[in-house]
Amino acid sequence: MLADERKRSVIDIINEHIEEFERWLNQFEETLTEKPSWSKKNSAIEPLKNITVHPKEVTMTVDLPFTKENTLQVKPLGENTLEISASTKRKIRLNELGIKHQEGEIQKFHCHTRLPVPVQMDKMEIRFKKGILEIRLPRKHENRRRKQ
Amino acid sequence: MGEEINIIEKAKIPSGATMFFGFPDAGLVGVIAASEMIEQLKLAEVAYMDSKLLPPVIVLHEGLPHSTMRIFGDDKILLAISDIPVPADLLYPMMHTLIEWGTNKKVKLMISLSGIPVQDRQEAKELKAFAAASTPEALKMAENKGVEILTDGYMVGPQAIMLQQCSQKGIPALAMLAQCYLNYPDPEAAAVVLQELEKISGIKVNISKLLEKGEEIRLRARDVMKRTQQEMTNVKKGQEYDIPMYVS
Repeated sequence: MLADERKRSVIDIINEHIEEFERWLNQFEETLTEKPSWSKKNSAIEPLKNITVHPKEVTMTVDLPFTKENTLQVKPLGENTLEISASTKRKIRLNELGIKHQEGEIQKFHCHTRLPVPVQMDKMEIRFKKGILEIRLPRKHENRRRKQ
Repeated sequence: MGEEINIIEKAKIPSGATMFFGFPDAGLVGVIAASEMIEQLKLAEVAYMDSKLLPPVIVLHEGLPHSTMRIFGDDKILLAISDIPVPADLLYPMMHTLIEWGTNKKVKLMISLSGIPVQDRQEAKELKAFAAASTPEALKMAENKGVEILTDGYMVGPQAIMLQQCSQKGIPALAMLAQCYLNYPDPEAAAVVLQELEKISGIKVNISKLLEKGEEIRLRARDVMKRTQQEMTNVKKGQEYDIPMYVS
């Protein structure tokens, strides 16, 4: 093994640990802030989502049941944040969901998600199947390393 | 360990029933399937679990408090369900208590309803269900009734404890698992596990409503799934994806 390669692999290992720590920190922050999953003001509910970091890409899935596919929007906000929104097939009153102490309705899914590692937003690929949105983004550092 | 959680009986408990478990786990398969059984089979709340170890949560129904961990039943069925994810450190004492209680009630078979996560769930055209058993006889029975056997792999969660403890005590038990999403509610998988259950127990549950209302169920189950994700992380549920290495 060349010295350069060995050096790079050590850096890779350190980077992986840092990324793992950042993911843990994000999860920890989420558990600290107990907040409702829905916003009465915006008539919106936050969808369930899952982010997986692979060596060359980041994949994110978002559970968007009961949505109109043609209203689905995925917008990059800056370098590492995505805004996702989609309207529900009909307005859902909060009391239909068992929330009796407050009036209101849900009309859309909406969330902002910060990605844990740098990605190439311009190469984003999306697909929507069975009510689940899948977003694939190539990682940025892979390109940077190839140039070295 | 069993003394830490008490089961308070509210009605006469039948002897020789089949006992089911439906706890929040992968895809909420067990909870969704159990809820459908309770509704369609018109099972009544016959007992509940009480303990200082349980989270300080009640569930309100028509203005009255109920335990989040309850047992429903009729003259042939007992079904233990939890409305909220079971904290990781409560899994052992809870399952120990339930199995001991079920044994005292001369339960003839214990069946845990749950899911087994698969990576390509979104691509699956037809979901499969599997069974694993506590004893060779129970395994043979499932096999003879046409249920595919989960021969190898890791199992994490309430069904793992159930199989292990029932195996130690020689109690016949089955874990029924449908392929499912790990982190998203999966009513389709719940429908599959109920279909397979009919082969084993003869209990027929109409799955058409589960399939028709699937998207609404997913939306409604969103918050329970979110909290279940946290508990699944605590028990390292992702280990079920691992390549098994059985040392023989």
